[in-house]
Parts: sequence; structure tokens; C-alpha cells
Amino acid sequence: METDSGSQAQVVDPEVRAYIYSLLTALGGTGGSDTGQYVLGDDALACLRDIKKWLKFYDEKANRMDVARCLAEAELVNRDLLPILALYGDAAQDDKHKSRILLACLELLVPLTWPLEIHSQMTVNHHRHTPYLRHSQVMYKRGILGHGTSQILRAVIRIALPSVTIPRSERSSRDEGILKLMLYLFRNIAIITPSPHLAGEGDEEEASRSATITTFHRQDVFALLLTMCSNMGEDFTFQDVIILEILFHLVKGVDAKSLFSNDKQHGVMETNALQGILEKEDSVKREYSKNAPTRHNRFGTMIWVKRGEEKMSTVSGQDILKDERTALLKMDKTKKWNKPKGRRNDVDVSINNFNVPTTLTSSAAKHLRTFVGEFLDSGFNPLFTQLRKAIEREADRVTEATQRQFFYVISWFLEAERARRTQQKELRQRNQNARDIEPDSFGLVASVLNQETFIALSRWMQTFLDNKEWQDVNATMRCFTQILLTVQEMSASPLDEDQEIAENIQNRIFYEETTHDRILSILRNYKDQGFWYLDSCTELAYVFLRMLEQYSKQNVDMQVRSRRRGRRKKAAEAAKDQNNPEGGESESEADDTAEATRTAVERSFDFKRFAPKFCTQKSVNTFIAFTSFYRELNLEQLKRIHRFFYRVAFKQDLSVLLFRVDIISLFYKMIKGPDGLDPTKPIFREWEEFVRQIIKKLIKKLDQRPELIVEMLFSKINATVHYLEYGYEKQTVSSE
Amino acid sequence: DGEAGADALGLDEELKVSRKRNPVAKLDEARLLSQAGIPKLRKTARTKLKFKGKGHEFSDAVRLLNLYQLWLDDLYPRAKFADGLTMIEKLGHSKRIQVMRREWIDEGKPKPLWSEGGI
Repeated sequence: METDSGSQAQVVDPEVRAYIYSLLTALGGTGGSDTGQYVLGDDALACLRDIKKWLKFYDEKANRMDVARCLAEAELVNRDLLPILALYGDAAQDDKHKSRILLACLELLVPLTWPLEIHSQMTVNHHRHTPYLRHSQVMYKRGILGHGTSQILRAVIRIALPSVTIPRSERSSRDEGILKLMLYLFRNIAIITPSPHLAGEGDEEEASRSATITTFHRQDVFALLLTMCSNMGEDFTFQDVIILEILFHLVKGVDAKSLFSNDKQHGVMETNALQGILEKEDSVKREYSKNAPTRHNRFGTMIWVKRGEEKMSTVSGQDILKDERTALLKMDKTKKWNKPKGRRNDVDVSINNFNVPTTLTSSAAKHLRTFVGEFLDSGFNPLFTQLRKAIEREADRVTEATQRQFFYVISWFLEAERARRTQQKELRQRNQNARDIEPDSFGLVASVLNQETFIALSRWMQTFLDNKEWQDVNATMRCFTQILLTVQEMSASPLDEDQEIAENIQNRIFYEETTHDRILSILRNYKDQGFWYLDSCTELAYVFLRMLEQYSKQNVDMQVRSRRRGRRKKAAEAAKDQNNPEGGESESEADDTAEATRTAVERSFDFKRFAPKFCTQKSVNTFIAFTSFYRELNLEQLKRIHRFFYRVAFKQDLSVLLFRVDIISLFYKMIKGPDGLDPTKPIFREWEEFVRQIIKKLIKKLDQRPELIVEMLFSKINATVHYLEYGYEKQTVSSE
Repeated sequence: DGEAGADALGLDEELKVSRKRNPVAKLDEARLLSQAGIPKLRKTARTKLKFKGKGHEFSDAVRLLNLYQLWLDDLYPRAKFADGLTMIEKLGHSKRIQVMRREWIDEGKPKPLWSEGGI
């Protein structure tokens, strides 16, 4: 003990430790009675309040974490707070003393479980204590979720229940405070996750997302959240942001689609998944054994590669005997130098990162599914209307992360709603008897399909883009994609009303030309934002383009509001009369006036002229960057890329854009390996056919225009693309 | 006198032997435009590259890729194929290379009447 406390003294001020420990001793303990029950000290309430003061006036004021560290080492939560909550949890609410003690416990639990984020203003103390505290927070969470004898969260709800039942007009600020404390505790519980960097102790499961969801279900946290959400804006107003946070941390990373596959189907899917994985492993092994040496590793083999001009290269190993390409690839592999890559910063370590996929146990998935269904039925519209207004008003409770969470949670629930509808549709089709059940309208999610939301969405999208907040841009892109997909489903709905509304919405979305331009520029200006960003921006662009194409086909006289400046036209005019000595001046004048009066012109929309804008070298580059992850892409993503390239090469006749050595090399590798696409998958056939067509076209082009052999090294210049494709110059030189 | 002479000769100064690193060869415009660069690529493509055509798409692709890889290996042995391609692609954005690219393309053109005044 002596040495122990001696070494600890260096971490925390020993005097502080002594004070804290004496408070903890006075608080109470289990040692005093034969039953092993927790016995409170005489002045327990005062002790709890003192501890709170220590946290507030020492830790917070001095910006240290010493008290929290002491409390963590003494295991205040698991040894004292939880037993007290368990002991008094069922106590009658009118016992004032007991309810005060319970509240004091809650007041300690919230700051102790508060998420610890890495930020720029961290002191030495923060760096010293954060890892330890994070670890102990996981222990707290395990204690709270898996307390042996009683249900802690239910007890917490019971503390706040009197304040919940009071009508909003009569609620005091103390009541509001209690509500806040309760919700913050739930939020903290939802956020805390076992750190992937700490050595596992074998029971991370007890603090996992699944455990959280199961406990929330069992101890009626979900029921409480549903009540609050469905009365949002009436009995509850200030709680919206915290509830959003709770929802965000519950659903982030969960696959909405697989959540709503039928149970039976789910079973099938899981076996399929296992089968799929095994097959994949098999194909990897097969791939390896194809190239694996057939003899022992000292069976020295060496070949020469003749390379013209009397030159030879030597390569060793047996695998190279297979064909020339393998030999060359091996030659390449043995080179030691790598082109230095710029630093990658696409990993978001904050707790608001939603890109990390999470899997749930089947029981947790069931509970979450029930909750999500009920939430969509009753709580979705009130909550999101209220939140949108709060964000627009820039209310005090809106934090930096709120917008990101807002857009992500909308996108998640829209996807969930679509998945639920498909599930219900299948159910209807299966039992023919139940066919007279009318399909629901999309009214359940109407609150995010109105003009106000679209305006907010596009405004935030632009703001995030301007500020280079890529994760937030990502959230808005997902949200937009899901809105588009929902509208698409709506227009296919059997209800006339739905169709009409969908028509209306599409009209509104596609009316603004700035939206078109923004999506184009996001796609074109991708630069190192990482895989998830790529995934979202390619999906958005693809979905947007497809829907726009459909819509403009159905509405031949489609109008858009164009905010083009008159500049270009005037500049061209000015350029025409260059002979005029005053030409230069009048040009700049024209520019000024054009700048001053940005005109909003309505003009008819022509998809044929719009589509080529999507098929530029830059968007091809973005899609190629996405394609280079082909080993990790799923069927839907591979299809998306395939369709895009197909559109570029064969619909827009711009295959020249794909004639670049690195692209051809990537395509070839995808089909013929090594490490190509899995040839047993149906999507492989489509890709193989596509690559074959591309190469065929390329070979033909190379015969027609030998200068392409040089151009294949570079991205094409706009001016020469047309010539390379058709063999003659375009009459009017188009500028980018 | 003697001392002054030694000063003038610099005999007293300590001899500094600074071993400079050998400069690393760079893949730059000059190298790309040199004889071993694009001119050679064009020549070998004209003389060596023969395609089998229809039905042999993938083997033709191999021929093409191998041609580029060997050419790049000769031009700049230091870089791997993919890295080299990225570097060259980047060079393609420079003014000088772009002018050269225009020229190479124009060489292949069938000299129509209006091509001169166009740009």
C-alpha cells in the first residue's frame, strides 16, 4: 500500500486525494452490516454535495481532472452511487430526504460520465488523466447497464418522473434542470464505448451498443423518449437537442436496411452472409494458390525479360513463369522507392463520427426496430419540426455538432422508413388476405419533406462546403440523397395524393439551378476527403442525375431558375468589337454592371445539355478514386460506378476521358487480377463486358489516331477531347 | 613575407571536405521531353506495338500496358509503374507540356483548311 500511494501521489495532488478519500469514507459503505447492504453515512447528503463542489470548484475552475481521477480510482460510481440508487430506487417519492440523496447521486453521475473529447486546449493534466478516465467510464457504463439487483436507469427515470408529469407552463427551472440531467445521463451512456486502443478484458460486450439498446428497452428509456418526442413542442421544448444527440449515438453506423429485413429473411441473410464470407475466403485462397510456388522456396528460378535495344532484365521466382504480365508486375514490385504520399486526414476520431459501421445482436436489433417503428409513427414529425426551428433560430442549446447530427439522423430515419415500407409491402404480398390494408401515406416523414427543410439543407450544405467541414458536408449529402430516394418512392406510390406531392417536391428541388451546380462541383472537387465522403458524393451525384433525367423526360417544358451572371455574354460581345479602341474599358464596365445586377432568369432546362457537365475529367477522377477501393465495395456501389462509366463512355461518347494508362490498368486489374473482382459474382460479368468494350474502343482509337498513345498519359484538355473522339475540331470552342 | 605568401596561397586554411549528396534524378519536363521520353514512346508504339484486334481485347491490353511499363522503367527506373504514371499525369498540367501535346496532336491531323486560324 505504501509504495502504491507513493507512486500515485505524483499523479494527483496528495492533499486533494486525502480530502476526497475522507469524503468517500464518510459517505457510507457495505462493511457495516451483516446483510451486506449498503449503509449510508450520517451526513451522506452533505458528502455527496461536497464531492460535487470539489468537481465543480477544483476540476472545472482550475481546468484539472484530479478529482475525477481520484473518484475513478476509488470507484465511487460502482461502489457507492449505484448501490445508493439501488437501495433507494424504489423509495416513495414523497420521502424528501431520500429523493434528495438520489438527485445528488444523479448530479454526480452526469459529470462523471461526461464524454471526454480530444480538443486543442488540453493541458498536461488532461493528457495524463483522459485515458484512465475513459477506461473507468466504460466501467461505469458496465455498472449502470448491468447492475445485479436493480434497474438503475429505471430508478433515474423515477427521479425525474415528477418533473416530467408537470405541465410545461408550471415547470420550474429546477424541474427543467432535472429533466436535463436525466437526458444527459442517457446521452452519456449512449456515447461511452470501449476504446479500441485499450487491451480488451473480454467483456466489452457489456458496454456495447447492443447492451445499451437492450437496457434502454428493458428499463423503459425508449418509452420515455417516445413520450417526450411525440409531445415535442407542446409539453417539451428545450429537450429536443439532447434527444437528437441520444438518437444520433444510438443509430450511428447501424445499417437501417438490414434492421428492417424480416426475421425469417434475417436468418437467411445471416447464413447467406456466412456463406458469402466463406466463399470469399475460398476465392482468395484460390487466387493465391494460382500464383503460389509449386515447389519449395529455395527452388531458385530466374528469367530474363527481353526488352528491346539488346537490353535484359532479370526477375526471380517461379510465379513469373506464368506469363509476361506477371513478370513485369513482379519487376515493379521489387522497386524500393515509393512516391511520398501527402498526409491523410480522413479519419475523424471525434465521437460524432458516424462512418464506423456497427453490428447489433439479433435481440438488440429487434428492440431497436420496435423503437424505430414507433418513433416514426409518433415522434418523428414533432421532433424534427421543433429541431429545424431551433436550428434556424440559432437557439442557445444548439451546439456545433447539432447540425451534423440533425442531417445524419434525418437521413438514417428516412432510409429506415423506406426499408420498413418495403418490408410491409412484402408482408402484404405474402398474405393475400391482408391486401385490403391500405398502404400508409408518406405523411409520417412529411416534416422533413417541406420547402423549409430544403432551404435549410441547401444553406447548410453550402456553409459546410465553404468552411471545408467535410464530415458535415457528408451528413448533408446523405440527407439529400435519402430525401431524393424517398421522393422517388413517393412518386411510385399507389396513392394519388402521394404522387402529386412528390411531383411538387421534385419541381421545387430541381427548380433551383444552384442546387445542380453545387452537386456538380462537389463531385468534381473531390480531393482526399476519404472513402466515406467519396461514397456519399458519388451516390448523391448518381441519384440526382438519374432522377433529374427521369423528371425532365416527363416534364418536357421544365423550367429552372438560373442565377447566371450576364458576364460571359457581355465579355464575348466586348471581344467582338476589339477594333474599337475603347473596347477594353467598356468590357470592364459591362462586367461591373453584370456583377451588380445578378439576374435570376427562368429558363427552360435541357437535360441533353446538362448531362455532359457530369461527365468531365474531374468527375471521372472522383469515380476512379472510388473505384480503386473495388475490393471493399458492395454490389450497389459497384453498380453505381459501372453505370456512371457506362454513361460516360457510351451515352455521352466521351470514352476518351477513360483512355488513360492508370485507368486502363485499374480496369484490367479488376478483371484479370491479381486481386481482381470476385469472378463468381454476377456484377463481375457486367464489369468484364464493360471493360472489354472499353478496351475494344481504345484499340480501335489507337489505330485511327496514333497520337493517342501520348495523350493516354495525361488528363485530356477540353479542347482536344472532341477531336480525339470524333477526329475533327468542334466548330465552337467551348470553355469549361 | 613568408607568412603573407602562405596566406595568399591559403595554406593555413583548413581544407573543408564537404561530401554532397548526389542529386536524385527527377522525373521532370526535361526528362519527359528528352529523347528517351515521349519521342521514344511514340517511335516504339509506331514500330513495335501490334494488336491482334477483335476477340483479343485483354491480351491487347496487356501488350499496351507492358509497353508503357517498360518505357517508364527505362525513362525513370526509380518509380513504380503507378507512381510514375501519377507523376507524368501531373506534369501534363504544365504549360510547356500542354503546348507540346497540342503539337503532337496537330501533327497527326489531316491539315484541314480552317485549322490554322482556329486557336
